[in-house]
Amino acid sequence: MIAIIENYGQYTHRIWRTLKEIGVKAEIIENTTPVGEIKRRQFAGIIFSGGPSLERVGNCLEILERYEEFGIPLLGICLGHQLIAKYFGGEVGRGKKAEYSLIEVEILKENDLFVGIPRILRVWASHMDEVKSMPKDFELLARSEFCEIEAIKHRKLPIYGIQFHPEVAHTEKGKEIYRNFVSLCKI
Amino acid sequence: MKSFIEEKVREIREIVGEGRAIIALSGGVDSSTAAMLAYKAIGERLHAVFVNTGLLRKGEPEFVVKTFRDLGLNLIAVNAEERFFKALRGVRDPEEKRKVIGRVFVEVFEEEAKKIGAEFLIQGTIAPDWIESRGGIKSHHNVGGLPERLNLRIIEPLRDLYKDEVRQLAKELGIPEKIYARMPFPGPGLAARIIGEVNPERVRIVREANAIVEEEIERAKLRPWQAFAVLLGIKTVGVQGDIRAYKETVAVRIVESTDGMTANAMNVPFEVLQRIAFRIVSEIPEVCRVLYDITNKPPATIEFE
Repeated sequence: MIAIIENYGQYTHRIWRTLKEIGVKAEIIENTTPVGEIKRRQFAGIIFSGGPSLERVGNCLEILERYEEFGIPLLGICLGHQLIAKYFGGEVGRGKKAEYSLIEVEILKENDLFVGIPRILRVWASHMDEVKSMPKDFELLARSEFCEIEAIKHRKLPIYGIQFHPEVAHTEKGKEIYRNFVSLCKI
Repeated sequence: MKSFIEEKVREIREIVGEGRAIIALSGGVDSSTAAMLAYKAIGERLHAVFVNTGLLRKGEPEFVVKTFRDLGLNLIAVNAEERFFKALRGVRDPEEKRKVIGRVFVEVFEEEAKKIGAEFLIQGTIAPDWIESRGGIKSHHNVGGLPERLNLRIIEPLRDLYKDEVRQLAKELGIPEKIYARMPFPGPGLAARIIGEVNPERVRIVREANAIVEEEIERAKLRPWQAFAVLLGIKTVGVQGDIRAYKETVAVRIVESTDGMTANAMNVPFEVLQRIAFRIVSEIPEVCRVLYDITNKPPATIEFE
């Protein structure tokens, strides 16, 4: 079972559906749920959904603070990606240009998350803010013309961030990206 | 899907027991599917109420009433056009319009519900409805506030589904293709396709324009997710028969999508667009300009309001 932490994003339920479509059980959990309670559920992986504001990410930061207690793969999407970057010392702010709908991302590192994904991928994005500088101990996995930091990975821990939305129908190979993430989880 | 139908039919039977349920049937894919699912579960004890708001598509009220009576549904049709127009007088703000329409709808529906004396309310809410309404993008157009007042228990059998799945389900339930294959239509009806005040005159313009867009799309055998016309409420200058015109502007929106959550403006052949523009301007004397919307969702939504 994967936990999807709800940050009030447009596509939170799409994440749940995408996982369902690839045969993976998941549950959408309110971000106000006490971290101890989430921990007791013994999820195999955690996904931070997107959302409108870093002010409304509830207990997501506490999950990151207590990450060692979990030790399971963690993926942040859009706002979730930004909050991971910020927690680990990256800078988040308004991008020069907003990115909406179709963009092309360049996959720089075909590591675990992007295995079998073409080098140039047409995806859908929807964000004004972005990660402006890399967090400490992270490596860059993907970039685009308007946003330098489209996907990141922690160098030692299974913590990932993706700026665009692999869960929407318009993103190419979105299911494969989730499949790759799920294959890192012990299900 | 077979097992989904069995599961939901069993669920509805268990919850409703020997009681009675009502549903607001709009004739759209979602409420039609929820109605037929509930009909399969409890038959005559489901009372469907169809409200003509005056904001529906051309020929819609007659079509919906006939189709569902033929399918065997216990259907009550209410004509409430005047009440809606009266309440909408002078209202221009999009969210305010939605609220007014929602309120009048609830009033009309409540009167019928009282007569029936039902204990349960079936709703065709699907996933994008509650996602967008909770996210604050658009307020919910289903019957808010009513369940508490009438002490009705809500049943939403399609809550976790997206449109494509509802269509599949509708097909399996034996609902005619003309219903299950139809394009989504907003809860507030044509009011969502009129910027500014809604009155019978402006509804007539946008209704004709919508009918033309739908006809031409069908003629060209295109299969978009949605195709419609919007009355922008701005006048622009034209020249018609050597005479200066100063008339309404209509926007045409045609998008492709699989679930309504993301959508792209469709690459419609230019000849089709030109034909739509020609017909709108020549058949609707109040209009002198037609625009095509090329924005995707995000950043724009599919409907304008």
